[in-house]
Amino acid sequence: MSGISRSDNSLLARWWRNIDHWMLGSVGLLIGFGYILMMAASPAVAQRIGASRDVFIFKQVMFLSIAALTIIFISMLSTQTIKKLSIVGTFIAILATAYTLVHGMDIKGAKRWIALPIMSLQPSEFLKPCFAICTAWLLTEWKKRFYIPGIFIALGVYAVILFILKSQPDIGMLAVITAVLLTQLFINGLNMFWIFSGLGGMIAAFVGAYVVLPHVRSRVERFLHPEVGDHYQIDTALRAFGNGGLWGRGPGEGRVKDLLPDAHADFVFAVAGEEYGMIICCLIIFIFCFIVVRTLLKLIKEDDPFIILAASGLITGFGLQAFINMGSTLHLIPTKGMTLPFISYGGSSALSIALTIGMVLALTRRRIEAPQFFKNNNQPFSKRSILR
Amino acid sequence: MRYRDDRNQGSPRAQERENRAEPQPHVNIKKKKKNYNRMDKTRARLLITACGFCCLYGAVSFKLTMATILMPLAPQKQQIAPQVPAIPKSDPKGVMSGDFALPQIKRASIIDRNGQILAISLPVAQVYANPLEIIDPADVSKKLKEILPKLDVNQTYERLSSKKQFVYLARDISPQQEVAINNLGIPGLYFEAGERRRYPLGRLASHILGSVDIDDHGIAGVEKYFDQRLMDTRHPLRLSIDTHVQTVVQEEVEAAKNKFQAEAACGIVMDVHTGEILAMISLPDYDSNQFSKAPPNSRFNRATTGMYEPGSTFKLQNVAMALELGVAHIWDRFATAPIRVGRFTIKDLRTDHFPPYLSLPEVMAYSSNPASAHIGLDVGAERQREWMQRMGFLARVPIELPESGRPIVPSIKNWGISTVMTIAFGHGIAESPLAIVRGTAATVNGGILLKPTLLSLQDISNNDLSQQPVDNNAPTPQPKAQGERVLSEKTSETLRKILRLDVTKGTGKNGEVPGYFVGGKTGTSEKVSKSGGYLKHVNVSAFTAVFPMNDPKYAVYVMLDSPKPTKETHGWTTAGWNAAPAVSKIIGRIGPILNLFPNTKDAATIDAQLAIPLRPPVPRGIRPLGPGNDPGDPRLNRPEKNKEKSKKKPSAKASSTRSQ
Repeated sequence: MSGISRSDNSLLARWWRNIDHWMLGSVGLLIGFGYILMMAASPAVAQRIGASRDVFIFKQVMFLSIAALTIIFISMLSTQTIKKLSIVGTFIAILATAYTLVHGMDIKGAKRWIALPIMSLQPSEFLKPCFAICTAWLLTEWKKRFYIPGIFIALGVYAVILFILKSQPDIGMLAVITAVLLTQLFINGLNMFWIFSGLGGMIAAFVGAYVVLPHVRSRVERFLHPEVGDHYQIDTALRAFGNGGLWGRGPGEGRVKDLLPDAHADFVFAVAGEEYGMIICCLIIFIFCFIVVRTLLKLIKEDDPFIILAASGLITGFGLQAFINMGSTLHLIPTKGMTLPFISYGGSSALSIALTIGMVLALTRRRIEAPQFFKNNNQPFSKRSILR
Repeated sequence: MRYRDDRNQGSPRAQERENRAEPQPHVNIKKKKKNYNRMDKTRARLLITACGFCCLYGAVSFKLTMATILMPLAPQKQQIAPQVPAIPKSDPKGVMSGDFALPQIKRASIIDRNGQILAISLPVAQVYANPLEIIDPADVSKKLKEILPKLDVNQTYERLSSKKQFVYLARDISPQQEVAINNLGIPGLYFEAGERRRYPLGRLASHILGSVDIDDHGIAGVEKYFDQRLMDTRHPLRLSIDTHVQTVVQEEVEAAKNKFQAEAACGIVMDVHTGEILAMISLPDYDSNQFSKAPPNSRFNRATTGMYEPGSTFKLQNVAMALELGVAHIWDRFATAPIRVGRFTIKDLRTDHFPPYLSLPEVMAYSSNPASAHIGLDVGAERQREWMQRMGFLARVPIELPESGRPIVPSIKNWGISTVMTIAFGHGIAESPLAIVRGTAATVNGGILLKPTLLSLQDISNNDLSQQPVDNNAPTPQPKAQGERVLSEKTSETLRKILRLDVTKGTGKNGEVPGYFVGGKTGTSEKVSKSGGYLKHVNVSAFTAVFPMNDPKYAVYVMLDSPKPTKETHGWTTAGWNAAPAVSKIIGRIGPILNLFPNTKDAATIDAQLAIPLRPPVPRGIRPLGPGNDPGDPRLNRPEKNKEKSKKKPSAKASSTRSQ
C-alpha cells in the first residue's frame, strides 16, 4: 500500500505510511472534479462579469494547488501543534471577522470579506474549523487544568461569534457553526434534554431570523411557495439538472449553465448535473458521504476524546457545508450561500476547506505518541506496536 | 456488541487511561465505570451522527434523481436554443433514416384560388461567429468564400480577426449553404435560424398581398389583415384571386395606362354572385419583395382607398333607385334641358343632339345629366339618402384589407337639392372603385348586395368548415354569398337590359366583345384640383361592365386617372374611348380562363331577349312622366328652365360637370 520502504524513516515516508490513503484519494478526486467543473463554469461567469477567462482559471488552479499543499502540510502536524494553532487561530479569526463589520467589503448586501491584493478573504471561513477544535479542547482538556467547566467558556465564545455573524449577516455560516457545536456536544455525551433545547433554540433563532431579516424571509418564502415570486436562480438550476439527465450533455455542452447566476460558486453542482449527468453527481455525493462517514466510523476506534470531538466537529462542518450547497441547488432546502468544498470557485473557501481536511487527516493519522505510552504497546492486536 | 466491549476493555488507549488514572487515589471504581459508559455513549453517538449524514446525503441523492431522471424540469427553449439548431443539421439519426425534416416555418403561405403560391416564407439562416474562438481567420474566410460566392473575403477576414465576441458574417443564406458551412466543422461559427417572406410573383397582386416587416409582421394588405391567422395556423390562406385573371387585368390596364399616358389606373374583376374578387389591381404598383423601397404613390391602393367621383356610372344606381321605388318607369321621359343651380349649370356635352325629352332607356344609353338630375329630384333627398345608405355607399366597403377607405359623402345638413341632382349623375360624392363594382353587381345579380371578399369561398378552411366531416363523394358545395336583397328580380332584369343597351346602342359601344354580351356603363368625371375646383379636360374615366348579360357572371371595372387624348380617340378622354376598349380586351382574354366561351351561334336570339326598345310603349291607362308631368321638378327650376330655353344660349363654359 505504501510503496515506501518501512526502513525509510524520513518525515515524508512516515507521513505517507500513517496517513489515511482512502481519505487522501477521495480529496484528490474532489480537487480533480473541482478543476474540471471550474473549466466548465468559469467561461460564462467570466464573460458576464467582464473578467478574463484565463485569469479566472489561473486563479482557481493556483487556489487549488495551494489547497493541496496546505492539506499535505497541515496533515503532517502533530495533534499538539494543531491544538495550539487552532486556539490562536480562533482568536485571530474572531478578531478578523469582527474587523469585517468595520472595514468589510460589501458583496451582495453582506459584509463578509476583507479585501486583499489578490483575493478577498472571508475570515469566518477559517473561524469554522478553528472554533471546532477549540470547542473540542475546551470540552475535553480544559477541565484538567482549570477546574471550570469548559462548556461554559465554549458557549461564551460561541455567543461572541453569534453576535458577529448575525451582524454581518451570515446566517448560513452561523447555522453551520451552531450545528457543529451541537453535534460536538451531542457526541460528547451531553444530556439529550440540552441537545433538544439547543435544537429548539436553533429553530427559534431561525424563526426569529425569518421575522427580523428580510433576505432570509424572502428566501424561505420562495422555497415554500415556488410558484410565487422570483425563483429564477433555483428554477434555472433545476432546468440545468433536467437538461443533463442521466448521462449529462457532455463536457462543454451545457447551455443552461450559461444563464445560471453564480454557476462557478454556489451553483456549481448544477453545472455538474447538466454536463456530466446524474451519474457523476451521485459519485460526487458519494465521495462527500464517504469522507464524512469514514471519518466518523474511524473515530469510533479512537480513544482520545479530544481527537474524537475535534475530528467529528471538523468533518461535521465539512459535511454540512456540502449538504447545504447541494441541497439548496436541488431545492431541497432554502437557498443558502455556501460553497461546495473543493469544487466551487473561491480562494477563502478552498483554503479553509484545505485547513479542515488537513486537520482531520492529521488527527486521524496513525500516530507515534508521546513516550509514556510505550510500555503499553505490547497488546497483540494493537497496530501501534507495529509502528514502532 | 461483544466485539465492541472487547475492544473497549482491551484497547490500549483504554488501558492507558486506566493506568494513568491509577496513581490518583481519589478516582474510584464508580468514576472509572462512568468514564467507560461515557466512551460508549460517545461511540454510539458517533454512529448516530454517521447515520444522520447518510440520511442527509440520501435525501440529496433522492432529490437529484428526481431532478434529473424521474421528474426532470425541461429547459426553456431559449435556454438551449443554440444547442438545437432549427436547421436540417447533420443529425446522424436523421441522415440514417433518410429523414430531412424541414425546419418549421411560422408564417403560413398565401395562395390564389387555384393553389398558386403568392406569398411564402422560406427558411434562411444568419451566419455569425465568435472571433475569439476562431483559430485561423484566413482559412475560415477562404472556406466560407467557396460556399458563399458573394462573401467579401477581406472584410470577413477583418471581422474574424477582431477582438469582439460576436460578428455577423452573412445574412439570409439558404439551408443548403447552412448545411455546407456546418459540415466544414469550423468551431466558432454559429447560425441563427430565421425565415424570409418571399413573393414569387413580384408585382402581381402586390396591393392585395401587402408585405411584412423585418420581424415578419404584416404591415399592409392581407398580410396585415390576416396577420394573426397566418401566424396561428400553417394552413395556407387561399385567396379569391385568380393569378391568370389578375395577370390579364394587370397587362391590359397597364397597356391602356401607357397608351393614354394616364397618371394612375385601376382594375377589378368580381364574381357578381359570390362577391369574390378575382383580380384587383392598382397602378402604379410595387414589388411586394421590396415594399420598403416603394414610394407612397405606388403603395396607394386605388381600388379600395382611392375615392373618385363615379360620374355617369352612378346613373345606373340612380335609375335602379327610381325603378325600385316605383318613382320612375321604363316608359317615362325626362327633360334634357340644362339646369341652372346657383352659378353652375347642369348640362350635357352634346345637348344639341338630344331631343328636349328622353325616355329612361335613352337617358342611360346617351347618358344625359339633366335628365338624370330630374330622376333624382323625383325621388327626393330623403329617399335618395336612405337608398344610398342601404346600398352601402355611405360607409366603408367591407373588404379584408386594412386599406379600405371611407367614401366622401355630403352630410345630411348639406344634402340639398343640388346634392340630389349631382349625385343622380355621380358627382358631389366620391366612392372607391370597389364600392362602384359592388353596387353594379347588385343591379345585375338579381338584386343582392354582396359583401366583397378576397377569400376563396370554395376553400373549406376559409369557411370554418374544417370541423365538419368531409364527404369526398358529395359535390363541391355551392359557394354561398353573403348578401342582402336590395332590388327586386324584376328591377334587376330591367337594369340588365338597360346596361346591355348602353353597349349595343349607347356610349359603351367600344366595350363590346362578340359572343360575350357585355353590358356596362361609362363614367367620366372631371378631376378635382388641389385647390378644390374642377380641372378642365382632366378626367377620371371608368367603365363598369358585366358579362355575359344573359346570365351575369363577372363584373369588370377599369378606371384611368387623367388619360390623354390620342388620334384614335379623336381627342376624347371620356371612358367610352379609353376605359371601354380596355375592358373589352380584358373580357376577351379572361372569358376562356373562367370557362366562359363566346356564344356567337345564338347571338341573335340572346340579343333579342336582352333588347329593350329605346322608347318603350306606355301601357294603357297610365300617364307617364314627361312633358307637363314632372312632379319632382321643383318650382324654382321651371322659370330657370324657361329662361334657358328662351335664351337658347346656355353659358356652356360655366358648366361645372359634364358626363357622357
